[in-house]
Amino acid sequence: MIKFVDVKKTYLNGVQALKGINLEVKDGEFLAIIGLSGAGKSTLLRSINKMIDITSGKLFIDDIEISSIKGRELRMLRRSIGMIFQSFNLVRKMSVFNNVLTGRVAYHSTFKTIFGLFPREDKILALDSLDAMGILDKAFTRADQLSGGQQQRVALARALTQKPKLILADEPVASLDPITTVQVMDDFAKINKEFGITIIANMHHVDLALKYATRIIGINDGQVVFDGNASEVTDDILVKIYGRSLKHDEVLGE
Amino acid sequence: MAKFTITNGKTVTKPFNKIWIILAIVIVLLIIFWQFIKFNPEFIALDQLGIILKKMFTPKGTRTWGDYFKYMLRLKEPLLDTLQMSFAGSILGSALAIPVAILAARNIFKKKFIYVPIRFLMNLIRTIPAMILALISVFFVGIGVLSGILAITLFTFGIMAKMLYEVIETVDMNPFEALESTGANKTQAFRYAVMPQILPVFVSYLIYVFEMNVRASAILGYVGAGGIGTVIKDNILYNYDRVGASVIVMLVLILVVQFLSNFLRSKLQ
Repeated sequence: MIKFVDVKKTYLNGVQALKGINLEVKDGEFLAIIGLSGAGKSTLLRSINKMIDITSGKLFIDDIEISSIKGRELRMLRRSIGMIFQSFNLVRKMSVFNNVLTGRVAYHSTFKTIFGLFPREDKILALDSLDAMGILDKAFTRADQLSGGQQQRVALARALTQKPKLILADEPVASLDPITTVQVMDDFAKINKEFGITIIANMHHVDLALKYATRIIGINDGQVVFDGNASEVTDDILVKIYGRSLKHDEVLGE
Repeated sequence: MAKFTITNGKTVTKPFNKIWIILAIVIVLLIIFWQFIKFNPEFIALDQLGIILKKMFTPKGTRTWGDYFKYMLRLKEPLLDTLQMSFAGSILGSALAIPVAILAARNIFKKKFIYVPIRFLMNLIRTIPAMILALISVFFVGIGVLSGILAITLFTFGIMAKMLYEVIETVDMNPFEALESTGANKTQAFRYAVMPQILPVFVSYLIYVFEMNVRASAILGYVGAGGIGTVIKDNILYNYDRVGASVIVMLVLILVVQFLSNFLRSKLQ
């Protein structure tokens, strides 16, 4: 369970990205965060695994207050949270298998990992994850040989290999074409249902968010302006979130 | 400044290209420096060139061509010394350069007080010519191969540290962020996100630096660092034919190393 209590974030340049967020996410939810670029979606997401430190307020993960943790404790927290990026963030020159295996790095000492030695269980886990994402046959291909959708699946497999209880996804399909987008979103749904992993995703395309997420959070100017089921999202609510009607590129279309 | 009026009447001004100012400055400087070059046609003695070349590439006095080629075979040992010096120096210098390059890379160590002094030190070492490094080395460890290795290590270190940190700075940092998000510490993230990206470039540079060092170490022998350079120095006053023979084997060695270097580096791409 994740709980935001009056969370604020002001960047060094004075930009107030979060202006008092209160939010509770239960285990197993599929949450989509929607809002304009610059509304604070990324900041909200990254504050959960402390890739960004919040300025004030409290943030609990499973009843542990995380804003003050650091060092080993912080790395243990991050280990239990997978993260998916818009540009996949794979090591392009490395094989798919080795990329996925990096999801296990944090489970071992620095000394052991320097030499690139992983126990057999880790390797099998990595291959299992690739199989779950349907790209086992690409295991020994170089990551940059794959299409965008396949690369995002590799990233998902890397996250799964961490054995996470939560996956954060920052615009996971923003650089994919419409067909691949649907495939990758289906993978997210599968991970959510079959593995019971909580998913929090920032989404650019509203219709995709409404289709896949069990709950929608609308962010406008660093504040939560909507929190509810996908079915409750009306045009009026979208105007409240976006400050205007949707533009053509914000819906994927049928 | 060129002004364009496009079809609908709007005007766009293209800014002045600074390259013309730079070009003008360069030409002025060239003309100024030309005044300082003392050029005396009487000192050019093309016939001397022919005489010396003939002395170098024919056996001297009573010696035969057989002696000339036998002498080449006797150069095996200094030649191996040269190779050994270059090889050991390239490996040692490159190995030393890795940690320093990491410290100097702005994207890894974001602290100014770390990378600024490190870079200053690196630049300082690079300002010293290889020849001077060799002289200093001879002063410290005496005449011989060891001082050659020391000089080449320092020389390699200077070049490699600079080239490596520039490579590290151009690395894609997104995977680093991803690794940190999995809970890896900075060392682990570097090992898995940055190393795979720089390793092929590092090996390629290492081979290139070795090639450069084989050439450089030939000269280093001149100041007592051992190898083929020492042989040339010992003979240059009285035995032009031996200098010539040394030059030939050195040329062959350098050609072979260059060929191997190009071949290996093309395989790395």
